[in-house]
Amino acid sequence: MRPADLLSRLQSGPLILDGGLGSMLIAAGLAAGRPPESWNLEHPGQVEAVHRAYVEAGSEVIHASTFGANPPRLSAAGLSGMCREINAAGISIARRASRGDSLVAGDVGPTGLLLPPLGKATIEELRASFDEQVSALVEAGADLISIETMSDLREALAAVEAARATGLAVLASMTFEARKRGFFTIMGDPLVSALRRLSEAGATAVGCSCSVTSSQMLAMAKEAAPLLDAPLAVQPNAGKPRLTLEGVVYDQDPSVFASDLAAMVASGARLAGGCCGTTPEFISLAKAAINQAVSP
Amino acid sequence: MADSDELFSGLYQAVLSGDEDGAARLATRALDSGHSALETIERALIPGIREAGDLWEEGEYFLPELVTAAQAMKAAMAVLQPVLGAEAKSLSLGRVVIATVEGDIHDIGKSLVATMLSANGFEVIDEGAGVPVSRLIERAREVDADLVCASALLTTTMPRQRELVNAVRSAGLRAKVMVGGAPVTRGWAEQIGADGHADNALSAVNVARTLVGHRAAG
Repeated sequence: MRPADLLSRLQSGPLILDGGLGSMLIAAGLAAGRPPESWNLEHPGQVEAVHRAYVEAGSEVIHASTFGANPPRLSAAGLSGMCREINAAGISIARRASRGDSLVAGDVGPTGLLLPPLGKATIEELRASFDEQVSALVEAGADLISIETMSDLREALAAVEAARATGLAVLASMTFEARKRGFFTIMGDPLVSALRRLSEAGATAVGCSCSVTSSQMLAMAKEAAPLLDAPLAVQPNAGKPRLTLEGVVYDQDPSVFASDLAAMVASGARLAGGCCGTTPEFISLAKAAINQAVSP
Repeated sequence: MADSDELFSGLYQAVLSGDEDGAARLATRALDSGHSALETIERALIPGIREAGDLWEEGEYFLPELVTAAQAMKAAMAVLQPVLGAEAKSLSLGRVVIATVEGDIHDIGKSLVATMLSANGFEVIDEGAGVPVSRLIERAREVDADLVCASALLTTTMPRQRELVNAVRSAGLRAKVMVGGAPVTRGWAEQIGADGHADNALSAVNVARTLVGHRAAG
C-alpha cells in the first residue's frame, strides 16, 4: 500500500487497528521474559489465532508479531541471525489470519539501544538495524510499516527514514505521558512538535501508542489533532499494567475504552486501536462506538 | 568561608547541569582545599542530585537531564570514593548488593539508587543489569551483605524479584531485600514478602537505613 492509498482510504472514514498482541500471547502461555516473536517459529498457530480474533472483531489493519524482531533485540534474546526468518514468518502468519479481510502491517518497535547521553549507540547503528528489519518485512509482503512506542525522537526518525525508503505507507507512533508543561516522551520530546517531525520525515500517519489509559490519550488527541497535517493514530493501553501473584492485570473497563476511542475519533483521530492489555473485545466495542459516532 | 561556599555551589551546579568534567575537577579542588570527602558529598553532591530529582518530579527535567546529573555525580564520586574509604571505615552503614534482574536491561534507576546509597555511606556492590538471582545470592553470601536490592522495570521481569526473596530466605542469608522499579508498587513488595520498597533513589536511602537499622537492633 502506497502512502497515497492509505491517505485516500482515510478520506472515507476512520481505520480500525488491532489491539494488544504480546499481552494476548502471554495469556495464551508465552513464558515471562520470552520474546513474543519466538512464537512465530514455535507456535505460529497461537499467533494466527490472536490475529484472527482481531480480524473478526473488526480490525482493518493487523500488526504482525514483529515488534521486537530487530537485530539488537533478537540477539539480546539469543536469536541472533534470525531477523529475516522471524519477520518473514510474522508477516506470513498475519497474512494467513487476515484471509484478505485486513491489511497486514509490519510492526517495528524500538531497538532497545540507547543514544547518548543514556547509552552509547549511534544513529547509524539504529538505522542499520531498522534497514535490516524493514527490508525483511517488505520482502515478506507487508502492506505497510507501523513504527510503534518510540520514546526517543531521534530513534523514531531513523525508523521512519528506513521505512519511507520502502515506498510503503508508514504509520509512526511514539509514547507520551502527561508532565507539568504538557505531553512529552520520557526523553523530553513534546507531543505536537515530535509528531510533526515524524510527518516531515515521511510518515504517512503519526500517533500516540502505549503506556497511558484511554482517558489520558483522549486529552493528547484533542491537543494534537487540530495542529497536525498528517492523520492521527491513537492506540492506548487498557490501563496501567499491574502485576499480582496471579499475573499481569489491566484494570480498564472495555466499554470506557470504547467510548474514549470514539471521542478521540470525534476529536480528529483517523486511525484507532489499542496497545498492551487490550483484547478483541476492546476493539469490537470500540468499532461499534466509533461507527455510531461517525454515522449520520 | 566564602571561598568554600563558592566551591560547593559550583560543584552543586556542575551536578545539576550534568557537567561531568566540571564535577570531577571541582571535587578534586574541594579535596585539595582541605575539605573532607563526606563534607563535599553532603554540601554539594547530595543537594545537587536531590534538586535534579525534584526537577524531574516537577516535570522540568526529563530522562537525559536526570541521567547526565547522575553521571556528573558519579564522576565526582569517583574522585571522592577512595578518600572516603580512607576517611573512616566505621562510616559504612552497611554492605549492599544491587542489580537489575535477569531479562531486564534497564540500568538507569538502579545506578541512581546505587550512587545515592554509596554517597550516603553504604558500601555498594553494583552487579549491573540483567543479573540472575543465583549470582546475586552468590555475591551476597560472599560479601556478607546487609541488603540486597533488585530493580525491575517490566511486569514480565518483576517475578524475578519474588524469586530473589525466596532464594535469600532459602539460602539462609541474613540480608534484607529491597525492591524497586517503575511498575513496582508497595502492594507487590508486600505480596512477595520483600523487606522494603522504594519508588525513588532518595526514598531508597531512607528505606535502606531503616532496614539495616532494624537488623542491627534485632
